[in-house]
Amino acid sequence: MESSNRLLLLAALAATVTLSGCSIFHRQKVEKPQTEEQAAAEEQAEDQDSTPPRVIEPNVARRKIKTPKIDTENWEIGIGAGFVSIEDFGTNPTYAGQLTYHVTEDFFFRADLGQSTAGKTSFETLNGDVELLTGDERRFTYYSLSLGYNFLPGEVYLGRDTAMNSGFYVLGGIGSVKFGGDNRLTLNFGAGYYVLTTDWLAIHLGVQDRVFDSDLLGETKVTNNIETLLSATVFF
Amino acid sequence: MEPSITTTRSRRLLRTSLALALVFACTLPATVLAKETEAEKAAKEQAAQEKLLQVFISEPYLELSTGPGRGYPVFHVVERDASVDVLYRRTDWFKVRDEQGVEGWARARDMRRAKLADGSPFVFPLGDRLGFTTHNWELGIGGGDYGGANLINAYGAYSLTDNMKVELTLSQFLGNSSNGYKAEVGITQVLFPEWRLSPFLELGTGVVYVEPRATIVLPEDRTDQTAYAGAGLRFYLTRRFFVRADYRWHTIFTSRDDNQELEEWKVLIACFF
Repeated sequence: MESSNRLLLLAALAATVTLSGCSIFHRQKVEKPQTEEQAAAEEQAEDQDSTPPRVIEPNVARRKIKTPKIDTENWEIGIGAGFVSIEDFGTNPTYAGQLTYHVTEDFFFRADLGQSTAGKTSFETLNGDVELLTGDERRFTYYSLSLGYNFLPGEVYLGRDTAMNSGFYVLGGIGSVKFGGDNRLTLNFGAGYYVLTTDWLAIHLGVQDRVFDSDLLGETKVTNNIETLLSATVFF
Repeated sequence: MEPSITTTRSRRLLRTSLALALVFACTLPATVLAKETEAEKAAKEQAAQEKLLQVFISEPYLELSTGPGRGYPVFHVVERDASVDVLYRRTDWFKVRDEQGVEGWARARDMRRAKLADGSPFVFPLGDRLGFTTHNWELGIGGGDYGGANLINAYGAYSLTDNMKVELTLSQFLGNSSNGYKAEVGITQVLFPEWRLSPFLELGTGVVYVEPRATIVLPEDRTDQTAYAGAGLRFYLTRRFFVRADYRWHTIFTSRDDNQELEEWKVLIACFF
């Protein structure tokens, strides 16, 4: 038993010495690159030897969510036409544009810009050749910045199958008017009604009073200039 | 005299009817157009469907209203675990389409409880106190005083950070001796954006256009460069609204020998989004 053990140890020692000797012998040499066949064969052998690692791969496909940007449609722009009653200067057609930003479902900011041409005062009409203002001065240009409030939302029905959203609003703000060769500070307040023919197209009918001090007819007085406007607006 | 009045009236009548015609010209084709493009729109939407956000209802149900407002009636409900496509948003309402193709308006507060396809919550900015601290845009209108003249004012601001904003101010001033317009660009530094009442500092430059009043003889119209430094306070009201009041010290670089110095104060009602 002992001798066989010794034999085994000796054999092992011999093998080690021989192998290490080989390695020493070959140390100086540049290692030759293995041929492709050899490499392939070795790989194959390795594959046969080593079993694949038994790691449990979770079979869950992670969905990557890229959130698309949601379109917001809080702006409303439109044009309209109507009449403005310029105090002492008659009722005249007016054309206006409006831009609205809806802050909440109740409140909105609105900018109005409009232009009309004043008619004649009754004094001018009766006196024939008297002209109080020149052609340019008769131009009545106004703008206003207002805060509005929507109320009484509802629906209008056209026939059996069509229902369109509608609502009322009140608004008030400040602005200015250029008339008679001068700019004046105005206060404006009014109310309106709208019908949404589609989600993005609305028809408005509004009335606003624009109040300013005027000294065109001698003494300074507060004038009320009521504007009625029918307009079409688009949400974007 | 009499005939001349009648002619004026008839001319006015002509003008009014012209104006009415224009209104119809403006509005009618638009409505027709709306109907015509309905089918086109549907097709386009179908094509763009991949781009729509799909959210899943995690509450027992989601109510859909006929319009984007609390007064409009609820006409449809979407069940739990069903999905809706988010078409667009208006104020605090979302226009959605369910799996059957029913379209309606869902409240933002309800949509907050919906989940995305991966189970994560559907998050979007709400107009609340947190939004007052962090937001992208501001918009406001107001009035005040500019060197003794009445001031009408509108401004827009973009937030670079919670503290710092780039601001564009457009104003018109109406005084006893002169009127004018000004446009200014500046930087606003909000000192404590998370406070309900927060002070801010501002610095900027712009141009001012002055025209003398017709009744008073003054030098001709002029355009000058202007610069300002100022300070103010902003106070959160509710929802998306806040009030801001500020004072600005202006220096106008006139073409005359001396620069002109002017004080401005104003109060604005503003919103953020």
